[in-house]
Amino acid sequence: MTVCEYTRLQLAERQLEAAIGLFMVGRDRFAVITLAGAADVILSQLAFDKDKSNFTDTLMGEAIRDGAVERTRAEHGRAINDVLFINDMKHMDKEEDGFVDMDPEECAFGAIMKAMVNYIAIVGRKHPTVAAFLLWVSKNMDSKKYNLSGVPNLKPEDAQDPASNESEKKGA
Amino acid sequence: MPRFHKFDIARSQLVTATEIFFNQRNFSAVITLAGAASGILDELVRREGKEPFVDYTCRVHRELAGTTPPRRSAFHHIEKRLGISAHKHLSDKDTPTVKLDLERQATNALVRAISDYIVLKGQEEAFVKAVLQWTWQNSDGKAIMERYQAVPERQRPKK
Repeated sequence: MTVCEYTRLQLAERQLEAAIGLFMVGRDRFAVITLAGAADVILSQLAFDKDKSNFTDTLMGEAIRDGAVERTRAEHGRAINDVLFINDMKHMDKEEDGFVDMDPEECAFGAIMKAMVNYIAIVGRKHPTVAAFLLWVSKNMDSKKYNLSGVPNLKPEDAQDPASNESEKKGA
Repeated sequence: MPRFHKFDIARSQLVTATEIFFNQRNFSAVITLAGAASGILDELVRREGKEPFVDYTCRVHRELAGTTPPRRSAFHHIEKRLGISAHKHLSDKDTPTVKLDLERQATNALVRAISDYIVLKGQEEAFVKAVLQWTWQNSDGKAIMERYQAVPERQRPKK
């Protein structure tokens, strides 16, 4: 056991790599959310230091263009983390009942992809971890649902499976 | 939408932290996962009317220094000492690098989380035994127990 000096990027990379490894082999989704979420806190700051903007700024800009109320970066970041249940994985309030209703698969993938955008802004798409993960995503994730081809302004209803859209309409 | 209880979320992350500790030796991942599990287990132990690790450290501080630190401060101090803070926070005021003993801090973060887990569920599960037996062997358990025997009763964890 020895004390060593680590860059902030190294600490984030180790956590992101662990999150990706667990996700790809189908393991603990809660751990994936925690690890990707923690890595992203560091990566967001490093991306901001590099470009004076990060993925949260991009999402915030899009939300404001769509008519959302203007918020600070910190407030917007917290709102995104709440959508992904990142805080619920590591905290429990005195008043709460302790139950969480969530889709772990979706949140885990969302947490990794959010961190990945900031990671790419720092190391680029040719970095071995990035390139390998993006290849895996292209082979294993639903390209239409997750808009892997990057169609601009894709609406959520257009990303749904047509069969499930049809059954929703019938149900309504 | 599936429903989960936070105990199961904490346990799952603690089991994963233990597996990564032994198999991959990615100590950064262990520190973060053990820290996340502790954030939930701490509250669950309180709800059982028992003494979480954080409260125990506050009690020992009072015995040794004569003052009880605020619980929140003690919690953050422990997170800093275990390297948990460095793995989940970064501000523009922080230094570009940080000095850490990742293996030692991962071991301690895991033991701290396991200690709260044991208060709730005992120590019979395989992953709990693995951590306890590994630390007994690698942290000179006998020497620690000899020192523990010399500690006054009021400085020991509550039974």
